[in-house]
Amino acid sequence: MKAIKQLIQQDGAIQDRSIYWDEEVYQKEMEHIFARCWLFLTHDSVIPETGDYQVTTMGEDNVIVARQKDGGLKAFLNSCTHRGNYVCFSEGGNARSFVCPYHGWAFGIDGALDDVPLEEQAYFNDIDKKSLGLRQIRVESYKGFIFGTFDEEAPSLIDYLGGMAWYMDSFMDVPGGMELIGPPMKSILNCNWKNPSENFVGDGYHVGWAHASALQIAGGALEKMKGLNDYDPASGLQVTVPEGHGFGVIWDAAAALHPGPPGVAYQKWLDKRSPAVREIVGETREKFYNGHWDATIFPNCSFLYGTNTFKVWQPRGPREIEVFTWTLVEKEMPEELKQMIHADNMLTFGTAGILESDDGENFENCTHSNRGYSTRQGSLYLGMAKGRERTDPEMPGLVSDGWVNESSTRGMYRRWAELMEGRSWDELSKTAKTDSQA
Amino acid sequence: MSAEINQHVAGKTVNHIIHFEVAQFLTREARALDEERYHEWLDEMITKDISYQLPTEEVRYRRDKKVIGTAQTTYLYNDSYEVLCMRVARFDTGFLWAEDPPIRIRRYITNVDASWADTPDEVDVWSNFIVYRSRGQRDDSTMYGRRKDRLRKVDGTWRLAARVITLDQRVILDKNVHCFF
Repeated sequence: MKAIKQLIQQDGAIQDRSIYWDEEVYQKEMEHIFARCWLFLTHDSVIPETGDYQVTTMGEDNVIVARQKDGGLKAFLNSCTHRGNYVCFSEGGNARSFVCPYHGWAFGIDGALDDVPLEEQAYFNDIDKKSLGLRQIRVESYKGFIFGTFDEEAPSLIDYLGGMAWYMDSFMDVPGGMELIGPPMKSILNCNWKNPSENFVGDGYHVGWAHASALQIAGGALEKMKGLNDYDPASGLQVTVPEGHGFGVIWDAAAALHPGPPGVAYQKWLDKRSPAVREIVGETREKFYNGHWDATIFPNCSFLYGTNTFKVWQPRGPREIEVFTWTLVEKEMPEELKQMIHADNMLTFGTAGILESDDGENFENCTHSNRGYSTRQGSLYLGMAKGRERTDPEMPGLVSDGWVNESSTRGMYRRWAELMEGRSWDELSKTAKTDSQA
Repeated sequence: MSAEINQHVAGKTVNHIIHFEVAQFLTREARALDEERYHEWLDEMITKDISYQLPTEEVRYRRDKKVIGTAQTTYLYNDSYEVLCMRVARFDTGFLWAEDPPIRIRRYITNVDASWADTPDEVDVWSNFIVYRSRGQRDDSTMYGRRKDRLRKVDGTWRLAARVITLDQRVILDKNVHCFF
């Protein structure tokens, strides 16, 4: 494996192709990124009652996140401390305990080891059950969005989100907040996890070209982008924060990918809500509330606010991911509107979605071209609008005009490199300060 | 042939003539789709009030039936006639890079079972399927599942009026299910 300085060069604009293919790079990512960062687990709305749980993965580690009796949350490894078997084989539900099917060890919804068969007769009561609970994982939530980290040294979730939280509050602070509709769709893509993460963090460029067929039939505000013949850089911007998160926004386009009556209903809702949003988060963020976003919370949680698809790219080796897709809605939306948005999300970015299928092919092929040894010796280029980033007195991070931009993609790779160098969280927060003044 | 054995009795297995017509319809439909004759499918093989659905099913313990949180049915397909037309229109744009060169798709329909439905001139049809897809040089996948269809006889011809597709995979082991089943 090359030195990190060689893998990412020119402030994130140049990526060595090996980072999308090499097993060694991938294993370092598991250690330095997925075992350290805050990773999205689930949402409050998915597990509201005591004993409700979801099984998911953090990197390739299988974890359970469960609602506790006191209303709090716990997350722990889904792996028995006796011989390592999974203790839960359902992907979610409501449980009073998790019992390993191998020898019957029973763990509570808090992950504690409650019961061991033949404790008296076979262990002669000589077993320290307290030390044999399922391995606990730090869990925190931000406005209902639940994340976990394996790293005790990691900053709090709010600090990890950094400036991104300020932007996300544009919609998260609406009265009643947001929720996710499930169960998630699940499918695989034979691509490296960074391909979709970088796409959502800041690839506005592909929209008009890759999705030309879908834009033509959907019509509406985005249709003029078809074929990349027309685009106004004043129609949006990109933001990257030093923590690696970022997004692009198209002004006044939240409902753009909801053609027909659902789009009309959604626009009506946005118009009705806007005054309250302005009151709560101010005029600037009201503009963000009415925009359409493509975003990634580093490393692998992405969403399109407006279209309202919400995804996690679960790494499964350097060349495969599992895609989980939920629908993001405002909790106080009328049920009928939620259903329309849910249906549109499945039609556009679901597993049979008319935009999803364009992306899947591109992600897979961007990964698989690097199969060639000589191809892999080369590098890739994300230099669009480089040097045009600026700081803003109100908006955190680095802001760059135009949503067709690669500023937030570079930001994601800068953070990737900093983590891969094994920097401590202390060092990382110092870098964050320098980056945001860049 | 006596009229009696052709009689429409809700829930009753159809006779061999109707069974043949139904099986023939499913075979012809599969061939039309294999050959990308989507407009023929829309115009001649399905009804304007069609409901075309592919719901997902969570992997849950048998004993734990509780619906938790916001979980409801997530449909990969939940299409009306208009939405199916939109999907077909996308094939016609000439911009569908992901399917150019074309994907080879082969549908195998088996285990056909048909009973008279509770509406005159309609039958409920159950079938299993294998859908094989091959893209480019050697990228391929196989999907297995079942369908429950409602067929309606319109002007002497069977048409598809409703389809509920079940895929036998929770995690779809392919990049999409962007094909008709």
